[in-house]
Amino acid sequence: MSRRAVLLGLICLLASSAAAGQKSPEKLTPELILRDIRGRTIRLSDYRGRIVLINFWATWCPPCGAEIPDLVQLQRNYRHQGLRVIGITYPPQKLSEVRGFTRRLGVNYPVALGTKEMKALFTSSEALPITIVIGKDGRVRDTIEGILLPEEFEQLIKPLLSRPANLSETKK
Amino acid sequence: MKIKSMVLVFALLFTLGAGTAAAAIRKSTIRIDGMHCKNCSGSVAKVLKATAGVINVDVSHERKEAVVEYDDEKVTEAKLREVINATGFKAVE
Repeated sequence: MSRRAVLLGLICLLASSAAAGQKSPEKLTPELILRDIRGRTIRLSDYRGRIVLINFWATWCPPCGAEIPDLVQLQRNYRHQGLRVIGITYPPQKLSEVRGFTRRLGVNYPVALGTKEMKALFTSSEALPITIVIGKDGRVRDTIEGILLPEEFEQLIKPLLSRPANLSETKK
Repeated sequence: MKIKSMVLVFALLFTLGAGTAAAAIRKSTIRIDGMHCKNCSGSVAKVLKATAGVINVDVSHERKEAVVEYDDEKVTEAKLREVINATGFKAVE
């Protein structure tokens, strides 16, 4: 094999590994308009400049119920840093049941009844609970399947809170 | 004679050391109530795997159990049960 061929092969290898190492660009979240269980309208676009955790959950899902007190705590502790939690139930869910459940757990963030199509806008995963992390620029930064662990919050979400918002990116 | 006893002491120490290391790895099968789907077992497996001292986890909603391999110097079975209960399911005796 000639030296030129070896060199060419090396360049191709380096180029392909560099491409594999690149993170695919995060997609911009779809516009979502919800009515929460208290009748308030929630527009996802109104949350630009905030870090949003969209938590899909259900009253019949034990880990979902176990996770909610942690989300309540995070909302309380990091609200002033721009963290906003939005709960969306996974169907089928009765409004009265969801209202009772959230009241019992002292939920301090908006909760809306969701549809399967709504969840499909963000993820194809069947996991529940599942939390979609949206950056200040409105792009999906992460999808966390199962209960959000403290170390996941520290590693994936907390750094986003201190990062300045680059809202001009959202116009792209 | 002196060398012989030194070899014996080393052999004894080595055996004791190996015995201690082997005793640190344990495997527990914990029965769990309330798991009905793959997502349920996935949630339990996730928190168990994140627990310090846990080496290997196999959670099955069909068998309704978690088989956990762990370092018993870092975590106890009681702690593993606590971790499971914190997911909203119930680790039963």
